[in-house]
Amino acid sequence: MIHSMAYVGFAIVLWGVCGLFMKLGTNRVSARSMVIWVTVGFVILLPFMWKFTSLAGLSAVVVSVGMLAGLLNGLGNWAVFACLEKGAKASVAIPLTALYPLFTVFLATVFLRERPTSLQWLGIVLALAGGAMLSYEPAIPAKSPEEPSPCVQ
Amino acid sequence: MQTERWHFPLWLWYALLCIFWWGLWGFLSKIGSVSANPLQMQVLFTLGMLPVALGMLLQMRWKLDRNLGGATYGILSGVATGLGTLGYYAALHEQDASVVTPLTGLFPVLTIVLAFIVLRERLNKVQMGGMVLALAAIVVLSI
Repeated sequence: MIHSMAYVGFAIVLWGVCGLFMKLGTNRVSARSMVIWVTVGFVILLPFMWKFTSLAGLSAVVVSVGMLAGLLNGLGNWAVFACLEKGAKASVAIPLTALYPLFTVFLATVFLRERPTSLQWLGIVLALAGGAMLSYEPAIPAKSPEEPSPCVQ
Repeated sequence: MQTERWHFPLWLWYALLCIFWWGLWGFLSKIGSVSANPLQMQVLFTLGMLPVALGMLLQMRWKLDRNLGGATYGILSGVATGLGTLGYYAALHEQDASVVTPLTGLFPVLTIVLAFIVLRERLNKVQMGGMVLALAAIVVLSI
């Protein structure tokens, strides 16, 4: 139990800090460049992962599905970087995009004929309401050029 | 005087696009993980990301932004995501997914706290309410 909670804490800290790094990175380089640098970060870990696993025995279909998933993940990374680059706050963009399981549940319902449980229905309603509220951004009144920005950009 | 009329900001299109791509990724991961273990999936994800990175590089005509700070934060993002995922799988090895997944789903709380402290980001009241609902949704959907 203690070990598993330590691993959970490890994941939360790294993923949480990552949201900050993503915003700080897109403040300095373009979204497309960020995709490339992030991929470099993943590739750095590749030899380490290869030590503990191998792709031997996997069918061509599974390899294709896994790689296609990676491709979609890369496109999603580009979209979140573009979102941050276009001025989204990290504190809005990260929780908002973390709602992606909503779409996964939808796809599983349509294509895998999975039926959402009552708890998942509750999650869907909360996600839709939360997503709409997080996206709420009142129109910003015109301000004078010398007025400082409230956020570090 | 500030108008409170809602408008559809450009960044929101990209956020929705991200939810679409990552939603598909989650769906295919679900299919692939029937036959492949999490580590194998992680290797395949990394290999699958390479064509996207190459496509971006071609679009930019090989003119990659080499700002040291930006590149460092980018690489750290990749390493942190990858290591965090390995930590998540290690936790799953010792504990049920019904405990681990909702807990790790709370990671945006840390991002929000860090954005508040480091970037001095402030949310309006509606967004704060939305954040609470979104976090509750993340936990409920991952059970």
